[in-house]
Amino acid sequence: MRSKGLQFTFSGSLKSIILFVTFGLVVIVNIVPILWGVKTSIMSPSDIFFYPPKLFNFEATFEHYIRIFNGGYLRTFLNSIFYCVASIIFGLFLGILAAYGFDRFLFRFKKPMFYLVVFCIPLSIGSSALIIPNYLYMSELSFLNEWYTLPILYTAYNLPMAIWIIKSGVETIPVEVDEAATIDGASRFYFIFGMLAVLCRPALAAAALFIFLGAWNEFILSSIMINSPDLRPVQLAIYQYLGFFGQEWGPLTAAASTAIIPSIIVFTFLGRMLISGLTAGSVKS
Amino acid sequence: MKANKLGAILVSPSILFLAVILIIPLFYTIYISLYDMRYLQLGDFVGLKNYIKVFTSDDIRSSISITFIVTFVGLFLSIITGTLLALWINSKKGFTAYIIQIVVLIPWVISMVVGALLWKWIFNNLGLLNYVLNLIGFQSVDVLGNPRTAPVALIFVIAWRTVGFAMVLILAGLKSIPKELEEAGQVDGANKWRTFWLIKLPLLKTPIMVTSIILMLSNFNNVDVPMVLTGGGPGDATNVITMELYKQGFVYFNFGVASALSFVVLMVNILLITLYIRMVKYEI
Repeated sequence: MRSKGLQFTFSGSLKSIILFVTFGLVVIVNIVPILWGVKTSIMSPSDIFFYPPKLFNFEATFEHYIRIFNGGYLRTFLNSIFYCVASIIFGLFLGILAAYGFDRFLFRFKKPMFYLVVFCIPLSIGSSALIIPNYLYMSELSFLNEWYTLPILYTAYNLPMAIWIIKSGVETIPVEVDEAATIDGASRFYFIFGMLAVLCRPALAAAALFIFLGAWNEFILSSIMINSPDLRPVQLAIYQYLGFFGQEWGPLTAAASTAIIPSIIVFTFLGRMLISGLTAGSVKS
Repeated sequence: MKANKLGAILVSPSILFLAVILIIPLFYTIYISLYDMRYLQLGDFVGLKNYIKVFTSDDIRSSISITFIVTFVGLFLSIITGTLLALWINSKKGFTAYIIQIVVLIPWVISMVVGALLWKWIFNNLGLLNYVLNLIGFQSVDVLGNPRTAPVALIFVIAWRTVGFAMVLILAGLKSIPKELEEAGQVDGANKWRTFWLIKLPLLKTPIMVTSIILMLSNFNNVDVPMVLTGGGPGDATNVITMELYKQGFVYFNFGVASALSFVVLMVNILLITLYIRMVKYEI
């Protein structure tokens, strides 16, 4: 700004000040809760409730982490990883078949089928209208509280978006590639999972990323579908700690801090993919 | 493109799966909503009685107005802040722009349970917010215990988690505006402010509308944040429609009324979904 010298007008500087202040506030408001939570999680109980709050002059302790991990938190962590991996595998498997089918073939009822998928993208954003239907229906099928309950639901909720993202990847592969493969006699199945999947790796990775975030962060469905402690995912465990630990913010913030590590790691490395996936999925107009 | 049954074979597993898990339950719920159902025991056929209960219940009626306030104020805050940030980031390049986007998207990436929990701790009586308020000379506030401030806190957290999402989508819209248009405006002597109002904003209409519809859907259906942050309280100050829905089902086990209410919420969703599909031109 300053280098522009004479062009440095009043309205221009006012605008840049407003934008800078907005951004400053957003950074504070986005980062501080996490830092404050992590800080609380490594303080002793007496330090946590010391007022005014101690900013730096406390002794770090891992007692809350030890306590939650001795209390079965690791199990919920592993459950969540299982739910994510199962949903990703199942979702990508169905997703690549459907994406390829939609992109390369004409068949009866193609349009209505495609609109069903498109309809399900925003439908699964409005998930609270679905919690009662899903619950009553899963209980009718006796699918409640099983190891496969959540993977089935998480796959269904994230599959429509996955199909859309993978389809945008398949579009970029020239049709000549499938023709060459079929002439070579490679079976269609081998072609889809051997060649096509390799060629649209970025789209598959973006779809996997969305399924991961959806499954890892989901809470309300798990809270109504899962009863047994052995099957609890991580978000449900945190919510139940809220009732169990009450005002003990040490273990609560320790659980919360641990639960965001996978999301933050994935996001830091694949952030660019997430951003492009987001925009591809929503404003392709 | 060739007509081929193979396409149908490839697509049908996904279609069947979505139909069975997401669509059929909706019809099943419409059926249940016409019956008296408590504790998963299907009782007598009651016709529209559950719907009459939904529309005459004071709890539900008051929750509707809170829901609309939370949905729209939250949306408004996210869109305004998101647009401002998008405009600012658009002038930055490369790595700086990337880092800014990452920071702004963090609340959207972490779970709502964790986000709401972290804010609950900050809003605590002995929490960071009151400490800062005391530092600058204000009295402590029991944010989540006061029926007047609790909805503000709820709106704040809901807007907080969606700002980044709004920004990313609006930024994508900004990036698609051809540079020539802006330059043409400048050549014609429009200043930055006028370029924004007369050239950029009209072209941003579609991305802003699409983002708004998604956020409306997401805010309207948000149950995680109120559940963790306020539990609907104090009293019924933050008892949004989804909290009421949850309570009818899993606290009172009144599944007939819960199904009727689900259907009403679903109708609002379908309205928004229709708008969304008309706006975003998905094509095959």
